[in-house]
Amino acid sequence: MNYLKYILLFLILASCEDVVTVNTPTEAPRLVIDASIDWFKGTDGSNQEFKLTETAPYFNDGVPPATGAQVTVQNSNNDTFVFIEDGTTGIYKNTTFVPVLNETYTITINYKSETYTGSETLLPVASIEYVEQNDNGGFTGDETELKAYYTDPAGEVNYNFFEFISDIPVIPSLSVYKDEFTDGNTIFGFYTEMDLSTGDMVTIRNYGVSEQFYNYMFVLLQQNSQEGGGPFETQPATVRGNCINVTNPEHYPLGYFRASQVDEFIYTVK
Amino acid sequence: MGLFFIFTKMRYAMKSTLLGIFFILLHVMMIQAQDKVTLSGRVFESKSNETLIGVTIYFPDLSTGTITNEYGFYSITVPQGTYNITVSYIGYQNINESIALTANTSRDFKLKENLEELQEVVITKDVEKLDIKSPQMSVNTLKASTIKTIPVVLGESDIVKAITLLPGVTSAGEGASGFNVRGGAADQNLILLDEATIYNSSHLFGLFSVFNPDAIKDLKLYKGGIPARYGGRVSSVLDIYQKEGNSKAFKVNGGIGAVSSRLLAEGPLKKDTGSFLLGGRSSYAHLFLPLFDVNNSAYFYDLNTKLSYKLNANNTVYLSGYFGRDVFKIQDSFENAYGNAVLNFRWNHLYSDKLFSNLSLIYSNYDYDLKLNFVEFDWVSGIRNFNLKYDFKHYISDGFKLYYGLNSIYYKFNPGDIEPTSETSGINPFKLTDKYAFENAFYLDAEQRLSDKLEVSYGLRLSSFLRLGQTLNTYENDQAVIFNQQQQIYEKADPTGEVNYKRSEVIKSFFNLEPRFSLAYQLNNESSLKASYNRMSQYLHLLSNTSSPTPLDVWTPSGKYVKPQLLDQVAIGYFKEFEQNTYSLEVESFYKTIKNRIDYIDGADLIANNAIEQVILNGKARAYGLEILFRKNKGQLKGWLSYTLSKSEQQTPGRTPEETGINRGRWYNTPYDKTHDISLTGSYDFNDKWKLSSNFIFQTGQPTSYPVSQYEYNNISIANFNYRNANRLPAYNRLDLALNYTPKPKKKGYQSSWVFSIYNLYNRKNASSITFRQNRNTGTNEAIQLSIFGIIPSVTYNFKF
Repeated sequence: MNYLKYILLFLILASCEDVVTVNTPTEAPRLVIDASIDWFKGTDGSNQEFKLTETAPYFNDGVPPATGAQVTVQNSNNDTFVFIEDGTTGIYKNTTFVPVLNETYTITINYKSETYTGSETLLPVASIEYVEQNDNGGFTGDETELKAYYTDPAGEVNYNFFEFISDIPVIPSLSVYKDEFTDGNTIFGFYTEMDLSTGDMVTIRNYGVSEQFYNYMFVLLQQNSQEGGGPFETQPATVRGNCINVTNPEHYPLGYFRASQVDEFIYTVK
Repeated sequence: MGLFFIFTKMRYAMKSTLLGIFFILLHVMMIQAQDKVTLSGRVFESKSNETLIGVTIYFPDLSTGTITNEYGFYSITVPQGTYNITVSYIGYQNINESIALTANTSRDFKLKENLEELQEVVITKDVEKLDIKSPQMSVNTLKASTIKTIPVVLGESDIVKAITLLPGVTSAGEGASGFNVRGGAADQNLILLDEATIYNSSHLFGLFSVFNPDAIKDLKLYKGGIPARYGGRVSSVLDIYQKEGNSKAFKVNGGIGAVSSRLLAEGPLKKDTGSFLLGGRSSYAHLFLPLFDVNNSAYFYDLNTKLSYKLNANNTVYLSGYFGRDVFKIQDSFENAYGNAVLNFRWNHLYSDKLFSNLSLIYSNYDYDLKLNFVEFDWVSGIRNFNLKYDFKHYISDGFKLYYGLNSIYYKFNPGDIEPTSETSGINPFKLTDKYAFENAFYLDAEQRLSDKLEVSYGLRLSSFLRLGQTLNTYENDQAVIFNQQQQIYEKADPTGEVNYKRSEVIKSFFNLEPRFSLAYQLNNESSLKASYNRMSQYLHLLSNTSSPTPLDVWTPSGKYVKPQLLDQVAIGYFKEFEQNTYSLEVESFYKTIKNRIDYIDGADLIANNAIEQVILNGKARAYGLEILFRKNKGQLKGWLSYTLSKSEQQTPGRTPEETGINRGRWYNTPYDKTHDISLTGSYDFNDKWKLSSNFIFQTGQPTSYPVSQYEYNNISIANFNYRNANRLPAYNRLDLALNYTPKPKKKGYQSSWVFSIYNLYNRKNASSITFRQNRNTGTNEAIQLSIFGIIPSVTYNFKF
């Protein structure tokens, strides 16, 4: 039902947008957990990597890596997978991971004498069957629209997370879907981009995710939407993921520990 | 709890109310033993027979008087004798005559327009002299003629924009729907058009209001001290009266503007007895989309109709209708239409020269329709109600008036219905559960003069709300929202089951006693002190977690999980006029608290949500402030300066000590909290051809939230926010000018005038919002200010014949 937000575009037409300088408030840095177990279909899923960073003032150029952390993931049989940092990049890797569908994994991070933890279940996903392209899409009628179709499994509750990454220099487009009104149907992940042209490649990924992740990502995307602003804006707030700080709950982390099966489809724009 | 029990309870409450009325009446009759006579009747405009609201009928010998009510009726009881009386109304010639009152007398007056001041403009309670005495405070009256001279964006005169120039009234910003009164939310305003409730007051997402100024006679805005005859909303009452139509001659007036054109025709059905009025307004299609494909369109239209018929001296009937609609279409992929429809039958009946009554039967409907062809679905939602009102105004004696009546409303809420629009659509049909409710109220209001200096008004409204049967979720411990202790966030609870109630069953009922009280103490002939208290309840809530309401927001009734909003407001004021009302000063201060203001958990998704109870908590709100209104009412230069200093905030604490509450339990600014709000409005008549008018507005910037940090997740940059509305946009200010030109002001027959206006003269880019995002191409973070209107010149041509 995110489509309803399209309405907001009307106001923007009658108005003007300017980049302005704003003094934003600041707070002490927090750990940001960008940790996802992604099991791509057709692979054994043994190579996994996580990214740990810290928050930074809003207008700083980039964010600092969180280096020197101890990162482990455990499954329900207490099998432990240790993630080793690649130098001081804040990227932590494991090459012997054993993904199992519907298995629950728990991440534990020790960073700067504080312990963080969170759990998630690795959920399956439906494959992308085909992609439709429409060159007369979007609000102005000259955007390229892609619809990546998949068949939602009937009779169960499913949540999907879509990533559209194009090889032209634009930030990736992310969206989440629930099957409340589409259960059992062939439906699509939706992407629209005005700068795409013939021959450009778009990597489309469909992830199976939990309701908690859906809720998390829904709010995160809503607050960071490109079409935001105007009188129809919702009041933004802190978006808490599924990880907590066991040592000092007030110093909670941001980000999310996700576990998904992934289907990837690489599409060449016609 | 069964229906029977409720009716028993209601009957008991009714009985005690009636008993109360009886005793008051008895009391009144006893003090009224002398030989007194009653003068009553109606006051009309002489050329059109349009009734006039707020005309003063004054007895200088007795230093007493009265004013005409919403239907132009007055009644006053005085000792037998011969008196001079003055009938006066600003902009009209006074009638001074001597009248011998030996028996009850019925007398209508016809007032002639004051030709010296043909284009008379006043913002006034027209009965200044008496107003000082009247206990009614916190009320502003605007005439359609005043509204039409205020410069506005794109030259479209607008009722809602005009009232935001008054103290205590703001909007959440340019392009925001609705208006906010004394720190209240937009859904807390009761908007009545000829007694019928209007649910959506905005066209084009708030750029214009739905009221055609040509069809409007008068409006009154109650901000506090609200009389017991009004109820159902906690913040304010905007009471708008449409013209009845000219019962003497056929007249047409209209206008051609930059955005829309208007045409209104009125005339007699039967001379001096019946009249009709038909007014239409439509914007031009492709309004904001001239640069794009012709397949896009955005427009609105509305239609005002009214038939009035005087059956005899004691009976008049009215049939009025309003129909308004907004339509948007883009590229065949998106179609959006919404609007209000209202049909209203009224019967004015005089039981005696002292007892005026009005019966209204009202049907009101708001619906919202959205078709998204690219996802192939059609979404419909709405609210519909049937409303019966029976109101009595009882002019018992010169110093005592009673108002009493009842009001019954039956509601049907359709929170949403989704239908696929094609065979291949990926959407399954889904119907959100319809909701039903029944709201009833009885009221009694008295206005009493206790001494030459002290007048009071006191009243009581007994309201009840019955939520009728539907299918309802059940939850563990009746908690639809649970607190996740570990992550410190609120989450939806999973329903434990469902209960099916029959339609005739009452799921939940509420009763509230709403006392109202106000007094005026006259310090001298020119000044008075007033104070008021009012308690009000509101059973409907507009579900909206955006800065300003959107047309797709749905109304929801109170029930098992949503409690009614309860307001307590106190206000005090000082009122003074100078130099025979050439100038006047009103200073008021108010404090109000609202219980059970619903608030939304972080990330609440309200769209197509069938279990809204899972994302809301009952919080509270408070507002307080100081309002100053200084006016110049007469002369070539007229206008007012209004200043409001106020605070409006809300809080939703945790339900248990373990819970944090929303915004960690702290008070936070509402989106319409504006510390300082100044408006200066003036008009200058050079001669009867040229008139210049101007507004200047300055407001503290709207509350907003700035990010406290950034972080990276899933390869995008995320703005991290903390407390709600803790920051503010830059201050808002602008200057508008309008020049009215009437080429031949004395001409009979076809007459025309031009309005040249410039909105935002110095082209200030006022921030409507500042949002934070990652530049889609460079990937760096940036703050984007959205400004809606820069400098906008426009021309409107008006005509009448």
